[in-house]
Amino acid sequence: MSAEINILLVEDEPQIRRVVRSVLEGEGCRVFEAETGQRGLIEAGSRKPDLLIVDLGLPDMDGIELVREFRNWSEAPILILSARTEEQQKVAALDCGADDYLTKPFGVAELLARVRALSRRWGRGGEGSPKATFGDVTVDFSLRAVFRGGEPVHLTNIEYRLLSVLVANPGKVMTRRHLMREVWGPAYSDSGHYLRIYMSRLRQKLERDPAEPEHFLTETGVGYRFEP
Amino acid sequence: MICKPLRTLSPKLAYLAAIAACGLIAFAAMPLRHTLDLANIAMLFLFVVFMVAVKLGRGPAVVAALLSVLLFDYVFVPPHLALIPVDPQHVVILAVMLAVALVTARLTAGLQEQAELACSRERQAQRLYQLARDLAGAVSRWEVQGALDAFLGNTGYRAVLHFMDEGGGVPDPVPGEALGHVVQEAIRRGEPVEGEFFGPALCLPLRAPGRTSGVMVVTVSGEGADPRREKNLFAVVASLIAIAIERLHYVEVAQETQVQAESERLRSSLLSALSHDLRTPLTALVGLADSLALAMAKDNPDDPTSETAAAICLQAREMNNLLANLLDMARLQAGKVALRKEWQLFDDVIGSSVRLLKMSQSTHPVRVRLETELPLVEFDAVLMERVIWNLAENAFKYSPEGTPIEIGAYTDKQWACLTVCDRGPGFPPCKAEEVFEMFVRGTPESSKSGVGLGLAICRAIVNAHGGTIHAENRPEGGACVIVRLPLGTPPALEEEEDIAAGGRP
Repeated sequence: MSAEINILLVEDEPQIRRVVRSVLEGEGCRVFEAETGQRGLIEAGSRKPDLLIVDLGLPDMDGIELVREFRNWSEAPILILSARTEEQQKVAALDCGADDYLTKPFGVAELLARVRALSRRWGRGGEGSPKATFGDVTVDFSLRAVFRGGEPVHLTNIEYRLLSVLVANPGKVMTRRHLMREVWGPAYSDSGHYLRIYMSRLRQKLERDPAEPEHFLTETGVGYRFEP
Repeated sequence: MICKPLRTLSPKLAYLAAIAACGLIAFAAMPLRHTLDLANIAMLFLFVVFMVAVKLGRGPAVVAALLSVLLFDYVFVPPHLALIPVDPQHVVILAVMLAVALVTARLTAGLQEQAELACSRERQAQRLYQLARDLAGAVSRWEVQGALDAFLGNTGYRAVLHFMDEGGGVPDPVPGEALGHVVQEAIRRGEPVEGEFFGPALCLPLRAPGRTSGVMVVTVSGEGADPRREKNLFAVVASLIAIAIERLHYVEVAQETQVQAESERLRSSLLSALSHDLRTPLTALVGLADSLALAMAKDNPDDPTSETAAAICLQAREMNNLLANLLDMARLQAGKVALRKEWQLFDDVIGSSVRLLKMSQSTHPVRVRLETELPLVEFDAVLMERVIWNLAENAFKYSPEGTPIEIGAYTDKQWACLTVCDRGPGFPPCKAEEVFEMFVRGTPESSKSGVGLGLAICRAIVNAHGGTIHAENRPEGGACVIVRLPLGTPPALEEEEDIAAGGRP
């Protein structure tokens, strides 16, 4: 990682803290630790971390609660650590402002990939580019046009809106509810099948192989992620 | 009203007493016949008739009335010791006396009988009240029977409760041969049925809202009792008992539910504790071994220990898969997996599964073949991903390295089908169904790791969706597992008006 970044790790298991700390310090990050949610909030206030890593199963408070509190005053990215069967909690944490999650057990490569992606996005800030490119696709926001291999692609209104929400949040896990609200409005937040069908149409039009997507990825039980 | 105990004099004695009372008063009044006026003596006789009516009842009172007039006439009315009076005035006295005596006898006795009836009704009400109180406190069927025995006491009746078994079949204790058909009849008709069992008997069904819990058989144990005459009373008793039995039944059900909920809570907290406590060291193990392997590979790429560290990491992940399957199976078996069914596309779940599979292994290429325009199917995506993962993992394990795994989806009549096929040796013949049983493996002593849970989990998940799963061998070699999910009626999709948005340069 280029510049030294401050990471706050809130996790009650010392062995997992040890692994995460050694991996991240090996990459030149400064890692602060907190054992409990309360301690985590205090540390977050004093250390002003650039990235927060939170275990969902904390002994003293719900990890989701911690995410919500932190999100109240900080825009720094949040990475969730959780067990496989906790889909609902993951979704709740993401809806509360978390950016990504990592399922236990995780390897070094997975952890580093997530941390890099999140800190890159944070570092890049909010400068909006009128153009985005992924694979052989170019989205020109100023022209409201999409090209694939130089050829214009026809997208419907909703397809275009969905694409722009996804492209505006590269690497971030977007919950279904969030996407539905952004694209269709609040009234549709229960009709998840719309999202699935439109996502499938986007893949048909923009993916090299729609059956094995590379850019519009499904996070089963949680939502979708756009990988440029 | 104060109720005295019932008169215990037998009818014969009552009549004798009435006659004796009349004789006694005649004898007592004899010395006074010259000093007292005739009318006053008649009053004495009328008093006796009145007392007999009060104390001894209607019959003796009538006898006393007739006898009094006769004695009065014979002894006191002149001419003495003769029945026919001479003076017409005496005839009037005798006639009036007879009339008054009979009317007094009738009225007084009638009043007395009504008072006694009221008293006996009150006593019955008291006893029923006591029975209801005893039943309210009863906590077992034995106590219900005990309360019933206390209620009947020495009334000359005996009652036995026969309860139905769980399936509503044979009552317990089984009634004797002689009563069997009466009991069946009472249950069938749902109303009291008369029968014979060493005397008259009555069989009453114990009916509560919703079900018949058994029957009450009333027989006689003393003389002169006949339960058929007191059908109404026994019907009331039967309904009181039925309510008590119903209450006991619901108490039992409530206790059972509580125990079940408690054990369910215990099981799920045990599962989540187990899941947490096993996963935490595994997570640390995977992370530590992985970072060790990376560090070693960086320092000295030829060092074989870095391979060892990588192998530890791989094994720990393997263990995590096993743990996941065990916990899944425990949850599925408890029937406590809430399906989060939503209308999904197979593309989605297959796409994400394939990505996971490609990340976790590189020995087998994975190929996907989807029918175009697959419809929406209702399923739980997370669980279906587990199905695909388990099927694919099985395929990796049992097919030679480098051979492709093929995942496909298509529709067949009213089914949405998903297949996972490999080019391995296939399932052992005749075992194509057995492999879906828990802890059954195609080749029991195989060198491949695994305990035989993967396919069992797949079947449990697919069955919970109302689908089927079966295994077959492909004619060109290799195994194939086919999952079929019912095609429902997908929700409607409002198509947007296609006013061209993007794509126009």
